[in-house]
Amino acid sequence: MNPKNTPLPSNPTNPIIEVRDFNFMYGSAQALYDISLDIGEKEVTALIGPSGCGKSTFLRCFNRMNDLIDNTRIPGGTIKISDVDIYHKDIDVIELRKHVGMVFQKSNPFPKSIYENIAYGLRIQGIKRKNEIDQVVEECLRGAALWDEVKDRLSDSALGMSGGQQQRLCIARALAVKPKIILMDEPCSALDPVATAKVEELIHVLKENYTIVIVTHNMQQAARLSDRTAFFYLGKLIEYGPNEQVFMNPENPKTEAYVSGRFG
Amino acid sequence: MQRYFHDELQDLRNKLILLGEKSHEAARLSVESLLDNDLEQAEKTLALDDSIDALEKEIGHACTRYISLRSPVSTDLRLILVALKASHDFERVGDEAHTIARKTRDILTREGRFKPSLKIREMSRLSCKLIHDAITCFVEEDIEKAKAVIALDREVDALNNYHYEALASKELKKALTDASRFDAILVSKAIERIGDHAKNLANEVIFLLNGD
Amino acid sequence: MASEIPHSFVKRSSHKKRIEALAVNLFRQMTYLVILAAAYIFVDITINGSKAVFQSTAPYVNVQFLTDKPQTLHVFEPRETYETMQQVRSQILVLETKNRGLGESDPELSNSYAQQIKALDAQYESLDAQRKETRLKYSDREYRALEVSPDLSNYKHDTYAYSGGGIGPAIIGTCLLVLGSIAIALVLGLLCAVYLSEYSRPGKILQAVRLSILNLSGVPSIVFGLFGFGMFVLFFGWGVSLIAGWFTLAIMALPVIITASEESMRAIPRGFREGALALGATKWTSVRTNVLPYALPGILTSSIMGIARVAGETAPIMFTAAYALRDQLPWEGLEHPSDFLFQGVMALPYHIYVVSSKIPQNEYTRDMQYGTAFVFLLIVGFFALTSILLRIRVRSKYKW
Repeated sequence: MNPKNTPLPSNPTNPIIEVRDFNFMYGSAQALYDISLDIGEKEVTALIGPSGCGKSTFLRCFNRMNDLIDNTRIPGGTIKISDVDIYHKDIDVIELRKHVGMVFQKSNPFPKSIYENIAYGLRIQGIKRKNEIDQVVEECLRGAALWDEVKDRLSDSALGMSGGQQQRLCIARALAVKPKIILMDEPCSALDPVATAKVEELIHVLKENYTIVIVTHNMQQAARLSDRTAFFYLGKLIEYGPNEQVFMNPENPKTEAYVSGRFG
Repeated sequence: MQRYFHDELQDLRNKLILLGEKSHEAARLSVESLLDNDLEQAEKTLALDDSIDALEKEIGHACTRYISLRSPVSTDLRLILVALKASHDFERVGDEAHTIARKTRDILTREGRFKPSLKIREMSRLSCKLIHDAITCFVEEDIEKAKAVIALDREVDALNNYHYEALASKELKKALTDASRFDAILVSKAIERIGDHAKNLANEVIFLLNGD
Repeated sequence: MASEIPHSFVKRSSHKKRIEALAVNLFRQMTYLVILAAAYIFVDITINGSKAVFQSTAPYVNVQFLTDKPQTLHVFEPRETYETMQQVRSQILVLETKNRGLGESDPELSNSYAQQIKALDAQYESLDAQRKETRLKYSDREYRALEVSPDLSNYKHDTYAYSGGGIGPAIIGTCLLVLGSIAIALVLGLLCAVYLSEYSRPGKILQAVRLSILNLSGVPSIVFGLFGFGMFVLFFGWGVSLIAGWFTLAIMALPVIITASEESMRAIPRGFREGALALGATKWTSVRTNVLPYALPGILTSSIMGIARVAGETAPIMFTAAYALRDQLPWEGLEHPSDFLFQGVMALPYHIYVVSSKIPQNEYTRDMQYGTAFVFLLIVGFFALTSILLRIRVRSKYKW
């Protein structure tokens, strides 16, 4: 949401992710067809569409999480993050994933203490100095608006937290490795409305410093939260533009039908 | 819990109040021009109309945007609906003020002066007060004041009827040209309409506050 | 009629319900049957086995049985009692033959024969009890230590192989075999399972590999025994040795361990792995920190259970590791430390096999068989218990 309510330009002026004619296949089934879009820096971009439209697949392309799935390939197209082609053979996926954090649909805190959950990202990089870790843990928990709720029980198991807190912990954990971009795959789908609202507030605050790409099934959430929205259908990008366009005056009749709930 | 987008509602509220003040200003200027035979005031009123129209459009857009993107319910939704209706009412008040100013100008250019001998002074004062009160009861969320506005509107109607009869009387037929008399009827009608819009606004404030 | 049925949910009997009741009953009966059979086996072994393992005087445990080597048993029975018993026995036989020859012709006479046989039987029983009380039993070691051996004119001397002494070396041998094969099988199995579940690409080949591993657990144990014999004993030239037994048992337990470990690792939510990977962890880091610790309780339990079961097998160690009798304990008489690995050991299951099928059966071997079986049961139970305790401990540390 832009605070001044002035309409955004239809394309981001300072894109951090540039996707050009991107195709993606699971085995012999094509999941994405010729996707081209720019994602603006420090904006919230929502990907919406019916189930199986490829929006999650697309999201997972940004940190190459799809590499974990066998038999996937990219028959054509590029994704550039900060002007670097992330599917180039010289790319270190580990470094890419530090740069592009991810929060999953089902909150997945590790069954460790709250402190260790945040510290995990640092420990796997070999950082051992206690005071440095302490500092980052506090920073991240504050960043995720969780510090005041958990500061007295950092050594308690993260599994004892509520669902919303767990999801915010996962966001905090992602912040610990200092990413530029945070991908969120339906982060609120398992949360109650109040927890959802808190996560949304958090995202709204985070966009000051991070670029956020969020996949959501909840159209109201996309409308509330994002600056731009991309509508996917059957693996194709149907419409991409500022929320004012997509939700108030969509250009494509399919988008119109989908956002107004008349789909199918 | 206050959400980040609730600021937009506050924004909308402020805009609505601004529009209210502008239309009140227009109404006040127009009746002053009529009562004081002040052509300059009339021109000022006419100039104000465009900005009122623009503001109404802006509010309308903000409301659609809020409904589309924020899916409001309950009081938030009522505020949006009231904003839509009230902005229309304010715009109509602005239009009536515009009519008064235009007619005043016509009468002044034709007759040189207008003699507000009738109860038009009282009626103008009353209508302006109604508009002012309607805005106040919206700002202060005062349901009693809103009810008072509705009650007071009847007096304006009564005064308007009195004017119709008076303008049809023989003395005034002699005193004014037919055109001016006709204009005077329209002016009276416009002032009465301002009162009506104030009443509508009061009704909307009641709806906003308790959903009726 | 309507007045008899107060509401539409009143209980009615129906065909379906009768079938249901019948089925439930059947299931229950079968369950009880299984429980009864199991209980019978355990109670039988426990009662008969405790005769050999426990004793009525302090320290209540037959230490000799648990620590001594198997030896020949020397028994001296009072000659007089023995001879009287022989006479009674032959009288009974005579009377029985007469009775049989009589047939149905003279019921009165036949009746009196039966009476006589009954009386003789009772006499025989009392003589037998007397014999048991007065006989002298010595293990071989005790016999040699005797300063004056019993007078052979009063006593009849018999020797019974393997029926004296204890099963100490077999207990030690079994424990060594189990521990060693646990170590080898766990290492091999875990590495294999990690590769299969985390790294390998799913496809036809992986399925074939999985299937063959599963099939491996269906291979009869004697085949493993022969394989171990051919591979470790002959081809590697290790001879009948502890290490050959370890590897044979370990390979036999591998299918169970690999399957169980893979299962445990697959039960770990995908989110744990993805969460780590998304933070820039390498695959191995994510497996090491976020999969293995949480899969460990499951892996340990099922692995140790699997091994304990395999350790009970006789066939695989028959050719590879077990000696029927070995005088020295594993750490005795080693010329070189590595000899420890390349020596055969006694093992409880093989010992049971030997004492119950390789030597003449008599009343003295019975005690040995039951005692060995009981001790073996306790040891296997102990390993199972350890695995369960370990699981509880690890589980409470890594809870999810």
